[in-house]
Amino acid sequence: MKRVLPFLIIAAVFGIALVTAWSLKRSGAETAPVRSETPGVSPNARNPSTSASAPVAIPAAADAGADPPHAHGPVNAPVTIEEFGDFQCPPCSLLHPVLKTMEAEFGSRLRVIFREFPLVPTHEHALVAARAAEAAGMQGKFWEMHDLLFTNQNSWKDAFDVRPIFEEYARKIGLNLARYRQDVSSETVQYRIFLDGKRARSLGVKGTPTVFMNGREVPFESLAPEKLRTLISAEIGKRGQ
Amino acid sequence: MAVTPELTTNPNPSRPAILYAAAAVVSLVGLADAIYLTVEHLSGRSVKCTIVSGCSEVLSSQYATVGGVSLALVGAIAYFVVFSLATLAAFGYKGSGKLLTFVVALMFVTSLWLVYLQAFVIKAFCQFCLLSALVTFALTGLVVAILLRERTR
Repeated sequence: MKRVLPFLIIAAVFGIALVTAWSLKRSGAETAPVRSETPGVSPNARNPSTSASAPVAIPAAADAGADPPHAHGPVNAPVTIEEFGDFQCPPCSLLHPVLKTMEAEFGSRLRVIFREFPLVPTHEHALVAARAAEAAGMQGKFWEMHDLLFTNQNSWKDAFDVRPIFEEYARKIGLNLARYRQDVSSETVQYRIFLDGKRARSLGVKGTPTVFMNGREVPFESLAPEKLRTLISAEIGKRGQ
Repeated sequence: MAVTPELTTNPNPSRPAILYAAAAVVSLVGLADAIYLTVEHLSGRSVKCTIVSGCSEVLSSQYATVGGVSLALVGAIAYFVVFSLATLAAFGYKGSGKLLTFVVALMFVTSLWLVYLQAFVIKAFCQFCLLSALVTFALTGLVVAILLRERTR
């Protein structure tokens, strides 16, 4: 028995390690407890599933966020994707081309909304980036700045001072620089970020990217292109379009 | 019950056995830490630091992967190997102690390198990575204690 005992212990620890990893993955993929306990569904969620593994719906009492939101696609599109993102978050920059592909594939059947959720102080430049995007939005070029920030994330995330870099982006997309500089530190921009953050907190958003599709959270592992495509198609199918 | 030749080679196993058992227990802390980091890395989530604020910077840096493999996964495997070897050594299995010394020495050097990277290259600290380094340093201390004990015998 003494000869076998260490191997039994090692096997037991190996099993426990696997189970722990599996449960950690599950708990990370599922929604936060705050959201799973929140009653009510979004008016957009016409057919919310009630199964235990189903994504959790947006509560009706959730904060509205900045208005109007930054959105691509028609208001009456059968599928609305709402992303809570942080321009300095690496997974968000990976999601960026995926959403672009989905927009190209589904056209007017898909509406994409971006909400600011800068993870400060974890990401030191996230707030400045959010302000830059919002300031660009004041001149009607939010998405141009949004795209530049994500596609060039690696070139600015480690910079000491990102402001000149973002100003260069502003110049590149044809913004009025004097107005951009003014807007970046304006109360309007600050308030929009605050409102998006308020909405995020009311929904229990804790990390980025967090994505809701027609009012229900999409598990992180379903944000891969093929899975997201299937989910969008299924959602369109439900609405008979 | 038959006693294996390996088990008879250690006539006074109490003290080293305790140290090996301690090394096994300590390695479990490192294993838990590395599993958490591996899962978070594979899930693509941003790990949130609660004590220091550089987790994202460290874990999204180019040093977080080796040849496309998460360093946290390599760490988890290393800690499991240390646990296995320490357990076998605690039960008197010949050879496992020497192998444990070699693996822990390798981990010690790697940990020193990773702490250096955090301090001087990335210029940000990740608490989970620091915990892992601390565990490795503790394991190194235990292995050194075992070696000293065996030398004085």
